[in-house]
Amino acid sequence: MGSFLRSLRRDGPPTPSVGATPAKKEPPVPPVTPLEKMLQDMGAIREDGSDKFFGMENYGNTCYCNSILQCLYYSVPFREAVVNYPTRTPIESLEAALANTLRYQNFAANLEAEALAEKQKAANAQRPGAPPNQPQKPEDKDSPEYKKKMALQTLPLLETKNNATSYGMSESLFTSLKDLFESVVASQSRIGIIRPQHFLDVLRREHEMFRTAMHQDAHEFLNLLLNEVVANVEAEASKQPEPERSLPPAESADSTELSGSSGSKTPNTTRWVHELFEGTLTSETQCLTCEKVSQRDEVFLDLSVDLEQHSSVTSCLRKFSAEEMLCERNKFHCDNCGGLQEAEKRMKIKRLPRILALHLKRFKYTEDLQRLQKLFHRVVYPYHLRLFNTTDDAEDPDRLYELYAVVVHIGGGPYHGHYVAIIKTQDRGWLLFDDEMVEPVDKNYVRNFFGDRPGLACAYVLFYQETTLEAVMKEQEQENMDLNTSVADINDSTLKQNGYPLSPGLAHVHSASQIPSPSEPARFSNLQRAPTAPPLFPHPEHADSESSPADPSTTASATPPVPPIPDIHSLPLSPKKSDSHFKKERAKEEKERKANEKEKEKQRRRDQEARIREQRREDAEIRAALEASKASKAEEDRRHSPDDTKKSSHGLSRLKRGSKSFSHRLGKDKENRVSSSSHSATPIAEHPPSRNGASESQQQLPNGQSPGSHGLHTRHTGLDEERDTLKDPKHDRSGHHGKWRSFSLKKKSFSILS
Amino acid sequence: MAQGPSCASELHYYRALDHANAGFATGTYHLKDDLHLATPPPHPSEAPVVNPNPLATVPTPPTSGVKLSLVSVGQRNKLPVFTSKEKVTAPPFADGNPALAAIPTKDGLKRRKPKNNIIKSSSSFVSRVITHEASSKRLNDRNPDGLFAFANINRAFQWLDLSSKNKEEPLAKILFTKAHMLTHDINELTKSSSHIDIAMGSSAGDIIWYEPISQKYARINKNGVVSNSPVTHIKWIPGSENMFMAAHANGQLVVYDKEKEDALFTPEISNHSAEAMKASSRLPLQVLKSVNSRNQKTNPVALWKLANQKISQFAFSPDQRHLAVVLEDGSLRVMDYLKEEVLDIFRSYYGGLICVCWSPDGKYIVTGGQDDLVTIWSFPERKIVARCQGHNSWVSTVAFDPWRCDERTYRFGSVGDDCRLLLWDFSVGMLHRPRAHQASARQRTSMIASNTQHFNRHRADSASNRMRSDSQRTADTYNDYDSAVRHPVEPRARTALLPPIMSKIVGDDPICWLGFQEDSIMTSSLEGHIRTWDRPREGINDSYNGNTSSPAISTSAAGSGSGIADSAMGSL
Repeated sequence: MGSFLRSLRRDGPPTPSVGATPAKKEPPVPPVTPLEKMLQDMGAIREDGSDKFFGMENYGNTCYCNSILQCLYYSVPFREAVVNYPTRTPIESLEAALANTLRYQNFAANLEAEALAEKQKAANAQRPGAPPNQPQKPEDKDSPEYKKKMALQTLPLLETKNNATSYGMSESLFTSLKDLFESVVASQSRIGIIRPQHFLDVLRREHEMFRTAMHQDAHEFLNLLLNEVVANVEAEASKQPEPERSLPPAESADSTELSGSSGSKTPNTTRWVHELFEGTLTSETQCLTCEKVSQRDEVFLDLSVDLEQHSSVTSCLRKFSAEEMLCERNKFHCDNCGGLQEAEKRMKIKRLPRILALHLKRFKYTEDLQRLQKLFHRVVYPYHLRLFNTTDDAEDPDRLYELYAVVVHIGGGPYHGHYVAIIKTQDRGWLLFDDEMVEPVDKNYVRNFFGDRPGLACAYVLFYQETTLEAVMKEQEQENMDLNTSVADINDSTLKQNGYPLSPGLAHVHSASQIPSPSEPARFSNLQRAPTAPPLFPHPEHADSESSPADPSTTASATPPVPPIPDIHSLPLSPKKSDSHFKKERAKEEKERKANEKEKEKQRRRDQEARIREQRREDAEIRAALEASKASKAEEDRRHSPDDTKKSSHGLSRLKRGSKSFSHRLGKDKENRVSSSSHSATPIAEHPPSRNGASESQQQLPNGQSPGSHGLHTRHTGLDEERDTLKDPKHDRSGHHGKWRSFSLKKKSFSILS
Repeated sequence: MAQGPSCASELHYYRALDHANAGFATGTYHLKDDLHLATPPPHPSEAPVVNPNPLATVPTPPTSGVKLSLVSVGQRNKLPVFTSKEKVTAPPFADGNPALAAIPTKDGLKRRKPKNNIIKSSSSFVSRVITHEASSKRLNDRNPDGLFAFANINRAFQWLDLSSKNKEEPLAKILFTKAHMLTHDINELTKSSSHIDIAMGSSAGDIIWYEPISQKYARINKNGVVSNSPVTHIKWIPGSENMFMAAHANGQLVVYDKEKEDALFTPEISNHSAEAMKASSRLPLQVLKSVNSRNQKTNPVALWKLANQKISQFAFSPDQRHLAVVLEDGSLRVMDYLKEEVLDIFRSYYGGLICVCWSPDGKYIVTGGQDDLVTIWSFPERKIVARCQGHNSWVSTVAFDPWRCDERTYRFGSVGDDCRLLLWDFSVGMLHRPRAHQASARQRTSMIASNTQHFNRHRADSASNRMRSDSQRTADTYNDYDSAVRHPVEPRARTALLPPIMSKIVGDDPICWLGFQEDSIMTSSLEGHIRTWDRPREGINDSYNGNTSSPAISTSAAGSGSGIADSAMGSL
């Protein structure tokens, strides 16, 4: 426990007076970082993790992962869902685990570095506010590199261990994400650095493209991660009724509670990612010959929008839904008049997601250069947003969103650079997350990344979450209040009163030393929400740790043996997708093959050209690196391309393609231009009922699922099927030229290059 | 509408005249002039503007694009045909306060000048002043009806004579050390050929009262002694020789008197406890110093706190009684500033509001904001009239064209970060509401109810809104003053949508200011391009004939913007 006590030192001036703090190692106190300064007035640590501010270690170009993970962590509903699904690990077991994995730094070892820092600080102090252009090369204290180094030296390091068995799941990207989130939530230190090594291991094990140390696309990673979480969760859900399932009924009680309290349309506990990020696009196509309007729905997890110079996100979204003429080589196959016709098409949003992830397509494939280029267009984004491009029958078409996170790409091109995230936290304003470094920033700072500033830093992915005008107004009232006035105090006192967030187990271990005010800890084991936060998500609170039986793997979970890698993963996968996919593939194969191959051939040629063009790039180093990866990837592509249409049994490749097609389906590959007939020619009945749905209902019914909700359930199954059928159209595409083409090109060349 | 970034040299517009005349009038504005102001290099004492670290978290000081204050000191009346029919009946500001009664000027008609000579100034605030070597000759020779323009760019402030042949050479140029002038205004009441009163507000919070002809100046709110946050907007109070109003970025509206000295400001409110401050901060207006205060020896004359948010802009109503204020929090607050109270609070569709103006007759308020929308609000009916969609980015300035307004139709323009100038026409009878299943309707046929009906309904509306606002408030003792009506955001389905009659890219950089003159439209941009567009020579009633007489038309008829222009093209 000594290590926990030492953490107090990090909590800043208000707490160190606590008697239990040993007065050792005080001399080499590193300078207080802006983050620590800001956190000085924080009350007790909350249980929901909203007041934890952890940097993430960068293992060489893993900033794409770090920035996205931070954005997801600070989405309150997403974090709560991850932490609570399938059940929340009791805090005691986490603490036991953390006692091993949270490593405080040996300050003595860093003494020297700190002494150096002190010296430099003194040197710098002589010229306060001096511009950083002084030729003092060795170490600029304001440089992010220095700050990260210091952070790594001084802050507690948090390792994560695979805890999957305690969730009753096999190890997957989801469980390692949950490992990460739970560790941070349960950490007794408010700040520190988390090491996502294990998460990356799993990611790289399952996704070849992330195995290199190359720069990766953050948006692509986000899409993959969300899809993967969906897949993992659904796979687990489908295999849960297995007899050897070790989880006690508590878990199922929890899941019924989940479904009961979530209050949303679906009782399916596995659908929380869908409920947060998923929206529905409707593409309306009006044949100009017979004027018949045909509609088709597609779901998306994020929206990718084309950019224009001197525009706004609002305008980009409107352009996204602007009418498009399908003519010439790009005609529309009209069922009604039978044949290719000119048509007018528009995409509108029919169901608005609760979290709107907007991908600004800054990397654009330019035909004349034959490669991706970064667009430095000035694209402004407001703090709040509503969507103009909704259908007339959309529910809540005036839904208000607030910007809560921005992923910024810094660099001149798509193949290198750096990602950071700027995130609005629940009650600590905006913070900059730059790998290991976390720093509070001004609200106006968020606007530095419209794309027109020097420094090559541009917003790349924007996260908007739903909110209400009342919440916004309340927040605006609080903004810019002098922090030393009553507001801060009031905030603090409320935090202390009803925010005493420690669960029983936690409290008795640490309260004596941890909490300055020895007030009677309130018994709030449910999650806290800051008063200013909008009532985002009627999310299920996790089952009371008192009521739920002890987790079977409290101590074992701390360091479970790493399972043999490949088998474990391929087993739990839901056969649903692969099966239906397989069948469908087969059914369609003949029809599609020609078009498909033509398209592929074209792409390949284009890629080839792109590659040749690439070789001429001046930047020799980058080129070399690129070449290597391109070569390997191209080879891999060649290897896999036959698989794409024929083979679907090998776990890895199938998974990969599944996610890709998913991502295609999700808002990228927009239109089935020639295949409205082929689409309708695959009626839903043709597909066997999804095994997923069936097995889920098996799982749910014994747990007291009402028949009514079962009905709802099957409705969703149907939806799944529908989506499966929607997957096909992309294969029908054969070289039309439209606004979506650049994107698919982009996708293509991206996967080649990265 | 795919349009190249290059700016065209003509602006075409198509205008629906009225119902009787089904045709569209068209016209072409020709680019007469493109004056480019040089951006001054940073002052040597300033840190390099370009920080090598794009993630540097040090806040950057606010700056603004080029804005113009135009003045003609000649005698010729250049007022547009259509102005408010009603005479200004409002008493002047601060009428009831004997402490602010105008001191009879001892020097008779002679205007008082500021004390300090800016050319010889040793102030650390002013870096240097460059006057044109022949400035006095130029002043003597010029046509008195010609326009002077005052323009801020970066840390420079320039005095230009737009009627001069060498107008690119400023008559005078002031370079400040660090502060950027963000806003300035000319007192229309006191201007003469020998005297121009200019108030300008800086990013440091300091305000300069500048008289260019004598090159004298005075510094007000020196070092932010009254309010230490940047001045985002400044205007002379209509009808006042000495008083001007400044909006600060901290949400304060301050009235200063150019003749008064500064004094350290302490709020003059009775209950001064922190708790009370907090409670009253919920009010739409906290009077921290009233204009009726007896203590008027020093500045400020009055100080109101509207919010903790930046005030973007404000505008006085033509009847000089009301004030429309727009804020970064997305609210439009309509005040009776003589009575120091907020009457109505409207909200943008989303995002902050940036600019605001009144129709010449005072019936409508137009705002522009971060929702890319221009929004028309009816002041007498206290409701939203229409949302105008056509900008591709944030709207930086809106202005009515008083020469193209009459009792039934109104013309206004807007410019924005999308480098576009948009012109809009609206007449109440022609607005339509989007029908639920026909959002794309471009027909401008359906009508909304007549005014009187609206007026009746408005009463009911506002009553219910009032109740809503009451219930929102926390129970405290500050209810009594909060008479403001908080209007909810109207859903899109219930609000009329207006397309522009013209949309044109007029530059390569964001446009930040727009002004209508009798014979031209002027715009200025972020990087210092001041463009003048000549009005069509023909009057608004000429339609096609004017077009064909102009050789420019045929070459660029396709250059017009979106919306109604398309259908007009079809009819041509």
